[in-house]
Amino acid sequence: MAAPGPRLRLAAAISLLLLLAGAQALAPSHRLTSRDLARLRAALERPFADVQAAYYSIVGLDSLGVRVADEKAACNFVKSHVDSSSVDSLFYAAQSIRVLSGCEVTISNETRELLLAAVSEDSSITQIFHAVGALSSFGLPLASQEALSALTARLSKEENVLATIQALETASYLSQQADLSGIVEEIEDLVARLDDLGGVYLQFEEGIETTALFVAAAYKLSDHVGTEPAMKEDQIIQLMNAIFSKKNFETLSEAFSVACAAGSLSRNHYHLPVIIVPDGPAAVSHHQPVLRLQVTDVMSQPLTQASVKLDYAKSASSKATVLQQTPFTLSGDVFELNFMNVKPASGYYDFSISVDGDKRFIANKVELKVKVSTEVGITNVDLSTVDKDQSIAPKTTRVAYPAKAKGSFTADSHQNFALSFQLIDVNSGAELIPHQTFVRLHNQKTGQEVVFVAEPDSKNVYKFELDTSERKTEFDSASGTYTLYLIIGDATLENPILWNVADVVIKFPEEDAPSTVQSKNLFVPKPEIQHLFREPEKRPPTVVSNTFTALILSPLLLLLILWIKIGANISNFSFAPSTIVFHLGHAAMLGLMYVYWTQLNMFQTLKYLAILGGVTFLAGNRMLAQKAVKRTH
Amino acid sequence: MSGAAGSGAGAAGSVGSVVRRFLVEYGSGTPSRLKVLDAYLLYVLLTGALQFGYCLGVGTFPFNSFLSGFISAVGSFILGVCLRIQINPQNKGEFQGISPERAFADFLFANTILHLVVINFVG
Repeated sequence: MAAPGPRLRLAAAISLLLLLAGAQALAPSHRLTSRDLARLRAALERPFADVQAAYYSIVGLDSLGVRVADEKAACNFVKSHVDSSSVDSLFYAAQSIRVLSGCEVTISNETRELLLAAVSEDSSITQIFHAVGALSSFGLPLASQEALSALTARLSKEENVLATIQALETASYLSQQADLSGIVEEIEDLVARLDDLGGVYLQFEEGIETTALFVAAAYKLSDHVGTEPAMKEDQIIQLMNAIFSKKNFETLSEAFSVACAAGSLSRNHYHLPVIIVPDGPAAVSHHQPVLRLQVTDVMSQPLTQASVKLDYAKSASSKATVLQQTPFTLSGDVFELNFMNVKPASGYYDFSISVDGDKRFIANKVELKVKVSTEVGITNVDLSTVDKDQSIAPKTTRVAYPAKAKGSFTADSHQNFALSFQLIDVNSGAELIPHQTFVRLHNQKTGQEVVFVAEPDSKNVYKFELDTSERKTEFDSASGTYTLYLIIGDATLENPILWNVADVVIKFPEEDAPSTVQSKNLFVPKPEIQHLFREPEKRPPTVVSNTFTALILSPLLLLLILWIKIGANISNFSFAPSTIVFHLGHAAMLGLMYVYWTQLNMFQTLKYLAILGGVTFLAGNRMLAQKAVKRTH
Repeated sequence: MSGAAGSGAGAAGSVGSVVRRFLVEYGSGTPSRLKVLDAYLLYVLLTGALQFGYCLGVGTFPFNSFLSGFISAVGSFILGVCLRIQINPQNKGEFQGISPERAFADFLFANTILHLVVINFVG
């Protein structure tokens, strides 16, 4: 009955963990730091090449809250370079003039007619957008209902992302009396078309520029219409991560789009992403007891109106809450909290911080890992030589850090060397267990060093004992004077320690001492390995095998002699063609055997054999039949 | 003693007389065709024995060559014996359908296949 219980609990725990992981909001990973902002400004503050470039620069800088350097010159440039026959040019000029202060322009009737004519179902969405934008920025009257119907009709034909974004922008210029809900619904459709990259970034496959333009247009329209854009908090943060991940801008239009997105994310009516970063490393100590936080919007403007609160601070190891529900105090542009007031033990702490003050804040809860450092002190350092037989009482010397023990200690076959010490937190007096507590023995003559770990016992007293018979392999049985160092280190210690405590004379038994102490150099050439080639088989001398070859032909000689003696002859040889063919074929087959031995493979031989054999067989058949006939007669 | 010696001499004499009688019978009673074939068989036997003796003397490397040579000798001997049995007029009753010419053709054909394999194996 024990088996199902724990498994069920495990499954419940895992599902709860997954739920929590999903419930936890994503933290922004990218923002526009002040350096990024400067780069963006520099990208936008280029001398104007044409009206479009002027539009990007002027309106982009305005989104960042920056005024153009010389507004009068900009105004003159725009007025002189505008092309009154082009709707696009008029749009760029109109938008720029609207932003620049003290820039006036009069519009001729022809220009107005041109713009009004462009607002129809036959123009592309870009044309409608530019016409509507120009008319609105010039302050000319505009028939919103007609524009809306033209837009809706075009939208059903042009399905691409950029056209839809431009439709959103156009709708933000139309009167609120028109029913813009159809266009507002496009925001949701566009959000569905975004690509999720690793759960961190959300962007269109067309690129960052399109994504940034979408964000700017969505918020512009939502502010105009008065409804919250249909984007979830996580999606907004992912969009932010994608847009602000681009730090270098190749084109002016890219810089413009990022500037517009930054402006809209810091100034709209619905969502205000909050960036919470520690000012410097997230570490406090006795010397630096204050934790400083920068709480800003996406353009690194400090949100001094916000109220920042520590929800809880838990120790990372013990999960005990040391502080909760404490507000941060504003000091200049930075929020501060003196964490050392609660006298935390050294180590890592999980901070949960929330920022409130405005309903629009999103990503306003963060988890931060804060390190509390301290200084370590070594106390009760006792060096002693312990007799192995326990017959003599151990001799103990106390040393105080950072002094070195006077005299030297001996460890040999009948006495061990022992070291014990305690580590305490200098500020609080509590016992510390750092990560690194090493005892290093360094041979002064040969340069050998051996490092051991000192382990704490149940009372947190560190002990180290050197037994020469147990440890002779580490030392290679090299006797001599060794300097003893104590090394204490940890991530949360501000004062790591390397302390030369004493000199220890170690004597190993003589029979184990190596004749020369070689330093273990790993990087010398190793002895060469000689490859043993396969030995050829033993063969008899050539004389023997040649003799045998001659010998093997002797039975053949015997055969010929016997045949002659018996009286075998070929007197019955008939010169019939079949006989000749048979004998020739047979001889050829024997010759083929020889050729097979020297040159051919089985397949070729079978081929030739089939031909020769066939011929020989036919001839032989005829010949033998004739012989049989002759015999029976 | 003399009886044993006599019987020993007699035994030796009997072995010798058996051999002599055999040779006389063989020389007169065997057709010359069969004698020719017997000479061939003796030749093959000697060749095989010599090969085997050489292998015992100097070792079996290369083993495949020895095997192919030895099997050639053994196989040829067997086929020769088969031919002799089939040609022997005294066995005519047992080989009604097989004329000497047919036996000879079979002998040639089997030898061809044997030596094809032998040459393949000799290396």
